[in-house]
Amino acid sequence: MNCDDARVLMHGHLDGELELADDLEVQRHIEDCPRCMREYAALRAMHSRLKDEAFRFEAPATLKEKIRRSLPAAAMSRSNGYQARRGAWVQRTARFAVPMAIGAMLALIIAPRAMAPAINQQLANQVVASHVRSLMATHLMDVASTDQHTVKPWFNGKLDFSPPVNDFVKDGFPLVGGRLDYIEGRPVAALVYQHGKHVINVFMWPTTGAATSAERIETEHGYNVEQLTVAGMNCWVVSDLNQMELDKFANLIRAKG
Amino acid sequence: MDAAYNLARWLVRDDHDAQDVVQEAYLRAFRFAAGFRGGDPRAWILAIVRNTAFTWLKRNRSESPTEFDEKIHGGSTEEIGLEADAVRNADGAMIRAALDELTDEFREVIVMRDIEGLSYKEIADAADVPIGTVMSRLARARGKLARSLQGRIGKER
Repeated sequence: MNCDDARVLMHGHLDGELELADDLEVQRHIEDCPRCMREYAALRAMHSRLKDEAFRFEAPATLKEKIRRSLPAAAMSRSNGYQARRGAWVQRTARFAVPMAIGAMLALIIAPRAMAPAINQQLANQVVASHVRSLMATHLMDVASTDQHTVKPWFNGKLDFSPPVNDFVKDGFPLVGGRLDYIEGRPVAALVYQHGKHVINVFMWPTTGAATSAERIETEHGYNVEQLTVAGMNCWVVSDLNQMELDKFANLIRAKG
Repeated sequence: MDAAYNLARWLVRDDHDAQDVVQEAYLRAFRFAAGFRGGDPRAWILAIVRNTAFTWLKRNRSESPTEFDEKIHGGSTEEIGLEADAVRNADGAMIRAALDELTDEFREVIVMRDIEGLSYKEIADAADVPIGTVMSRLARARGKLARSLQGRIGKER
């Protein structure tokens, strides 16, 4: 390999983007050629300098709000256009499809990138671990019942608070039971819901101090985690369900809270 | 969305204008949501941000957008050897100024790769260039930036 080739390929090497054979060949050239070695060292130093957060402009919070507000408005004008041009059945489709598209866009683009860093990482790990444990052991439920009036009283005397228990069977998320769990050094209520074959764990405990009602979504080890505050309860929703459906479920909980 | 704003901010070099660009890009993205054929949503939205930014620059700034000419920017640049120490000694303001001086096409690959951490595939999708072009463009962009930093450091001494 000559220096001209190496001076291009060393970038692929630096970025981990080369096929193994090329990668090894560049590596060998860099080690043997003092000039290319100096060049590579300089590029690597520059690359790590640029990774500094100081060079990354963070979007102002007001912008996120502005966009969030302007998107549904655009959706409305769009579905009106459909109505004028095509039949009413298309409008029905659009009415259904557009909010789905908004949900998908917000969930895919805005939420995970913008909000993920804000989530309490340690807590997210804990709830995912609890979720996984509940599925591994035969300890998914202490009280197996689809009746919210059986599940809610069961927590009496076991917790120093009474979690809101609702059944969402009409919306495709039936309640299947509840159990006690232990998160952040305190006993918490865990409600178990099902959607198809997916199990959803909802962990609840009273909020302490600065409560936030902002929803936060995060993917953790392939599980989706959503945090919300409902009726003074810190509420963590965990499942292997896709983000859109989990979001739908979280909205049901929020609506009841 | 931070990625969208970051790219727009580096391309139009102004906070207020970057916000306008991102907002317009999201509206466009929304209108063309049906055109999204799967793949990486981040690269898709960044491609729209980039196009919106370039259109915006053409419309609102008197300066003509830097036409990218592979011939002018191609070939081996200055034959100055690079030194890691020069890069390490550059302060933030110096790096920002050097980045701002690059042509848009060079600046955007560095922003996407070094600052935003996109893969070559994502950059190819976002900047609408063949994946084979990403590495060579990045090589020239980084070479220019590093030499510019070295020049600035040299002047200071």
